[in-house]
Amino acid sequence: MSVLDSTTTILASGVRLTVPLAFAACGEYIAERAGTMNISVEAMMLGAAFTSIATASATGSATVGLVAGVVTGLLLGFVHGNFSHRAQINTFVVGLVLNALVLGLTSYLITTNEFVSHQVHMLSIPLLQDIPLIGKPLFSERWPAFLLLALIPLTWWLVERSRWGLELRAVGENPQAADVTGIKVNMRRRQALLWCGALAGLGGAYLAVGEVGSFNQNMTAGRGYIVIAAVIFGAWRLGRTMLGCLVFGLSDAMRLALPALGVTLNAQLLVAAPYLLALLAMLLFTTQHREPGALGRPFERGST
Amino acid sequence: MTPTTSAARILELRGITKSYGSVTACDAVDLTVDAGEIHGLLGENGAGKSSLMKVLLGLIRRDAGTVLVRGEQVALDSPQEAAELGIGMVHQHFSLISGLTVWENVALGDTGAVNKQAVCAEIAEVAARYGLPVDPEARVDALAAGERQRVEVVKCLRRNPQILILDEPTSVLTQAESQELFAVLGRVVQEEGRAVILISHKLAEIVQATDRVTVLRKGSVAFRAVTAETTAPELARQMVGRDVSLHDEAAALGMLPVRKTRTAERGAHDRQPPVLRLAGLTVEKGGVKVLEGVDLTVGAGEICALYGVEGSGQAVLGEVLAGLLAPTAGTVEVAGRRVDMSRPGALGKAGLGIVPEDRHQSGVVLDMSVTENLTMKSLDRLSGRFLLRRRAMHSEARRLADEFNIVAPSLDAPVRSLSGGNQQRVVLARELSGHTSVLVAAQPTHGLDVGAIEDMYARLRQAAADGVGVLLISTELEEVMALATWIAVISSGRITGALPVSDATPERLGMLVGGEAA
Repeated sequence: MSVLDSTTTILASGVRLTVPLAFAACGEYIAERAGTMNISVEAMMLGAAFTSIATASATGSATVGLVAGVVTGLLLGFVHGNFSHRAQINTFVVGLVLNALVLGLTSYLITTNEFVSHQVHMLSIPLLQDIPLIGKPLFSERWPAFLLLALIPLTWWLVERSRWGLELRAVGENPQAADVTGIKVNMRRRQALLWCGALAGLGGAYLAVGEVGSFNQNMTAGRGYIVIAAVIFGAWRLGRTMLGCLVFGLSDAMRLALPALGVTLNAQLLVAAPYLLALLAMLLFTTQHREPGALGRPFERGST
Repeated sequence: MTPTTSAARILELRGITKSYGSVTACDAVDLTVDAGEIHGLLGENGAGKSSLMKVLLGLIRRDAGTVLVRGEQVALDSPQEAAELGIGMVHQHFSLISGLTVWENVALGDTGAVNKQAVCAEIAEVAARYGLPVDPEARVDALAAGERQRVEVVKCLRRNPQILILDEPTSVLTQAESQELFAVLGRVVQEEGRAVILISHKLAEIVQATDRVTVLRKGSVAFRAVTAETTAPELARQMVGRDVSLHDEAAALGMLPVRKTRTAERGAHDRQPPVLRLAGLTVEKGGVKVLEGVDLTVGAGEICALYGVEGSGQAVLGEVLAGLLAPTAGTVEVAGRRVDMSRPGALGKAGLGIVPEDRHQSGVVLDMSVTENLTMKSLDRLSGRFLLRRRAMHSEARRLADEFNIVAPSLDAPVRSLSGGNQQRVVLARELSGHTSVLVAAQPTHGLDVGAIEDMYARLRQAAADGVGVLLISTELEEVMALATWIAVISSGRITGALPVSDATPERLGMLVGGEAA
């Protein structure tokens, strides 16, 4: 294998591994800008990965499976939102419980059911895919990957330009002030979690019916936590968050490619690499104090 | 100036009652406000002013009572409804969002698509009409307190409210800025026929700026008058519920003119050997210097005041001296020894006691007992390394409680069950126990009633008489004039001047607060 070929291979696998992270990170980004440190993004991705395969197997359509994944994420976002921003239960506890619950439930269901493998089809952009080195990695993908081209700008526009986004940022920075101004703080936070659920669900479903074509136990393997790390890496800016996803995706691809390149390293150690990178990134970048002022702080009227 | 025809009556509150649990914040309060008047709402902390206004803004629900706006009964269930009725408020705290820009803050609470150009044009229009210059592109956290206040006022006026409520608007302003604000309010009522409700506990500004005044005391209306027909002492009497004769009390209530006290005559120019020396103290937060090269000395047995408005850097200095914030540069010397500011508790060990600004957060542990709170700083002395010696702690607590007149149901009761004044005495007693050579008192009388304020003044004077150097950090002009021998003024994080109280006048201090050398 030539150097050029192996670079292309690593790039291609890096991009494929980035796509599910990028979907979920768009959602997590919005949830965090609204002030929710949403750790149940892992449950959203894993649950969606499972239901997408189950639905695809039942209906025979990978696309319907994709939609089922989005619905699963929405549902989990709805549950999380109502527990933490209506019943005022600690958001971390809710997230932990959801993560454990979904992991246990999907692990059980996969052992008791047989699913037929389904995968959405490839989409290659003519001409562009023939560019050397980057053509294949960037322009020949499972078709839902191209949704990112619309979803990333949409997420940016929603947060930075729409009234909804302005209110969302206000809620994440200073919920008391937002409340005084007449914004329904907890409703905005629940809405942000719905958006987060839908996109994390899309990311999880993409992993299952997009890249792999099947579901296996704990198939997200902590990708939700990587997404959270990417938002922190990005210092709560969307562009940098996406860059963070790419960095983590590429490092994951390196891990997979190294044995093929003849480098023998302990595989378990390499699994830890993206997490080490995330730790390092947080160490280097969280000094910038750009995090939403009320991140992780619940809001109840009259409790100032 | 005092229209009484019902045609001008824009707002009428009848029998508004609001309780929180067993505490009645407002008890059958009646209030009428006419178009074209500035109506003063006067009362001590906890008199029910804020609760009444929150009802009017739809932020809290009243338990009983009716509200009439322009003669029609309204529900007032939400902030949105209040805004539609033309009720707007300039909030003192919690209203601007510091991570957003000025125009984004102004646009919050609107409906429909966000149109930056339109919002900015409206800001410029309002700013020009009232002479309130603001930069719509600036981020709010980069603005000084006075500028934020202007943004608040612009934000409120842009909504074209018929009833404008201002909550303690001058606490962050210099005297000159306060005068400008009152000039704007004068135009708002006289030329445009709006109504203004001015909430304050400062008598001087109520007398100066309002047309009529309503005094609240313990949740009920104690007094109503046309401002021109009453006097500051009468208002003070109604607000407190008894005659106010002591000078300290009058000072605490903001009754001008400020008189100098005996401390002033005590030869303020011969300074005592320093027990606290700050040199070049600098603190950076997010790249902004919130304190810059602060030099300050406090001598043994003297009360030195650091005067400034909110947001001037006073609070930051208080946090540094409480050990909550490590300075970026500069040194702190206590009793001649340099203190290693990176070590927790180092200031306390060196002999510095502090009455912190936010006593609920960093002064006491509300749910721990009076005994535990009183002794937590002297556990080295009172207890073993692993086991607490409860008897020694109790006898120490008993001694301090007697000495400082702490009224508590029991020494084992949680500090939460004490009144504000007694909580503050717990802090003071603990901080003065042991070998304290310096006492830092940050806004020691905020939120206290008049009796407790008087007591606090006496105790600070007593501490100084016992040889402790006292640094009084305060935003109250009258307080620093009444207590201090030396007054240093801080503005935008820098000391703009220091002078003995015998040379200090409200005008000179006002200039220094505004950042100008006097």
